[in-house]
Amino acid sequence: MAKARAIIKRLKAVRNIRKITRTMELVATARFKKAMDRATEAAAYTKKISEIVADLSTALADAGAKGLSHPLLEKHAEEKNAVLLVLTSNRGLCGGYNAAVLRNAQQRIREAAGQVNLQVEVSGKRGINFFKFQKLPAAATYTHFEDKPTFEQVDELANRFIKAYINGEIDRLDIAFTRFESMSRQKAEVVTLLPIGQLATGTAAPAASKTAVEYEFLPSPEEILEEIVPASFKARLFKAFLDAAVSEQIARMVAMKSATENAGEMISTLKMQYNRARQSQITSELSEIIGGAAALE
Amino acid sequence: MSTATATGHITQIIGSTFDAEFPEQSLPAIFNALKVDKEVNGIHIKVTGEVQQHLGGGRVRCVALGSTDGMVRGMDIVDTGAPVSVPVGKGTLGRVFNVLGEAIDGRGDVVTEERWPIHRQPPLLENLSSKTEVFETGIKVVDLLIPFVRGGKAGLFGGAGLGKTVILQELIARIASSHGGFSVFAGVGERTREGNDLWLEMQETKIGDTGRAVIEQTSMVFGQMNEPPGARLRVALSALTMAEWFRDSTGADTLLFVDNIFRFSQAGSEVSALLGRMPSAVGYQPTLSTELGALQERITSTKRGAITSVQAVYVPADDPTDPAPATAFAHLDAFIYLERRIAEKGLYPAIDPLSSSSRVLDPQIVGDHHYAVARRVQKILQRYRELQDIIAILGIDELNEEDKLVVHRARRIERFLSQPFIVAEAFTGKKGSITPLKETIRSFEEICDGKWDHLPEQAFTYVGVIEEAAEQAERMAASVK
Repeated sequence: MAKARAIIKRLKAVRNIRKITRTMELVATARFKKAMDRATEAAAYTKKISEIVADLSTALADAGAKGLSHPLLEKHAEEKNAVLLVLTSNRGLCGGYNAAVLRNAQQRIREAAGQVNLQVEVSGKRGINFFKFQKLPAAATYTHFEDKPTFEQVDELANRFIKAYINGEIDRLDIAFTRFESMSRQKAEVVTLLPIGQLATGTAAPAASKTAVEYEFLPSPEEILEEIVPASFKARLFKAFLDAAVSEQIARMVAMKSATENAGEMISTLKMQYNRARQSQITSELSEIIGGAAALE
Repeated sequence: MSTATATGHITQIIGSTFDAEFPEQSLPAIFNALKVDKEVNGIHIKVTGEVQQHLGGGRVRCVALGSTDGMVRGMDIVDTGAPVSVPVGKGTLGRVFNVLGEAIDGRGDVVTEERWPIHRQPPLLENLSSKTEVFETGIKVVDLLIPFVRGGKAGLFGGAGLGKTVILQELIARIASSHGGFSVFAGVGERTREGNDLWLEMQETKIGDTGRAVIEQTSMVFGQMNEPPGARLRVALSALTMAEWFRDSTGADTLLFVDNIFRFSQAGSEVSALLGRMPSAVGYQPTLSTELGALQERITSTKRGAITSVQAVYVPADDPTDPAPATAFAHLDAFIYLERRIAEKGLYPAIDPLSSSSRVLDPQIVGDHHYAVARRVQKILQRYRELQDIIAILGIDELNEEDKLVVHRARRIERFLSQPFIVAEAFTGKKGSITPLKETIRSFEEICDGKWDHLPEQAFTYVGVIEEAAEQAERMAASVK
């Protein structure tokens, strides 16, 4: 019976795991809904503000006011100091979510190695542990961004980056996170947030092709740029955090769903093994008794 | 013991056992050989039986060592006055015998000065040798985790089709070809074809650079599947008796290979019920451990000479708790367990590094360094096994970084435990590799240290020392390009 008992023990363990994974799946589903709402709301704002910045810069260019610009839009002549912000989750059980982000981050670190002085800032316990284990130094770590990052929290971070960029302390800011595209599509990627140059040209093409809007600047283009460019950066940074939060919940949902299924499969194979072990035990005992009885006759 | 030969007649035949009646005063002793040699209806019937029980009234119950086909009640049967004996001595080298010591290789009779009875006492306690020395095989997994003992016994346990016979033949090819002493091979209840293959192969394989074939230093005794249970029950003893002569009379290191010791127990269980014994656990004979003990205790090294033995043990239904393999287990110094899960991955030899063990994997015998490396390897593999359920359910990404590294290395170690075999060259297309123990230890230590983490897993399969894995990785990379 030793074998059968060992199987029962495993069976119990797997059943418990399945209970946990199923609960996690439900929790993730609930959280995902909320995070998704926040992300879609922010998406509209981020999109609009990006368009406005793009429109503005083309309009400014058309108006011949080439001299007008904003320090965040300008690329620094030399790329010496860069920052990589890595967004991972605080909790595990979310499949390949963190692994994908960290893989991208590692690639960026490898590319930068020897050329740029790259500082890594990590958000999320999973990422922090990873960097600790890999013995890669992290310049700053954050664990306070949970699944509902607030704008205030991000704002604080963004202001620091803006200041550092304007002062020339950093020449580039990348962010490694998971972009939320749709329910079934999330993509881990590394995006350059500063300088914003790429953004303006990136979304300018479709915007400009519509009809170049004639802008009347009040009080003055400089002041408007002063306001809107940092706002756009902050919005994008905030969006990245929101995307990461949604993607995390989706990843967890998917991972837990498949874990529950795997556990179910394992339970059925273990059950079959147990039944077989039990049956063969009974058969052998029976045949021993019958054999013994027959031999005594 | 009666020396005068008496004649009796057969009174009953049941399967491969029969009863014979003799005059009360000249009753044959237990284990005496009885012979029937007669023509019946133009068919020559020649059967030898061995006395197992005295039934009273001058009747004895015997196990037939040959087929009982054609025997009839009332036939005359002659007591030879002694147990079955086999020729022993250097004349047996290069020859193939059956259970009765008759040559079956078609090269005429073997005449030696002496014939020894196959039932003998095990060596006395005081004569046993207490030396413990490691026996290097050049197989990485064996040398590292399950070191063999010179003059000891090693068992190869495994279910059907896991490669027990291949490993045994590999060991013959490795050990016998570099070994100065004599070898004896016992084929017990396995395929006749395999015995034939082995015989032909031994004629081709040369010992070192002496130019002499391995067969010239080897005696072979076969009682294969086609033989009745009596033959399979006694053939191991016949082979062992020949090996004992080499040990006791020449003092040479002698190798004894047995394939397959389970068939010995199985044959015992086949005749047990016919002899009227009550079946015991799982239908085996109640005398299972006595029978096996009588055989195994004789396979031992004395102060005079050593018998190093390698035995294959079939594990029915992959269940090592079955009484037959479980009983055999207790007699062995080194215990190799073949695992179906590993064979299914296509990794041969399919030796389970965690279930297998050896008495001499001890820092006092193999040295601290070897012991430490072996334990590290086992620890990594053990952790990997524990994590397997979690990986199956949650996926590898859920492990923490340390465990991920353990899994990463364990998967490499698992593959690195495979090795190309000399006897399997025709199948794998790779030359068999003999890895010196020192290199084996170094290679595994470097993998544990993470020096080779960068190589792809596939590079570790079927190589010798670790540098070959690096070469294989380069070749793989080149072929992709």
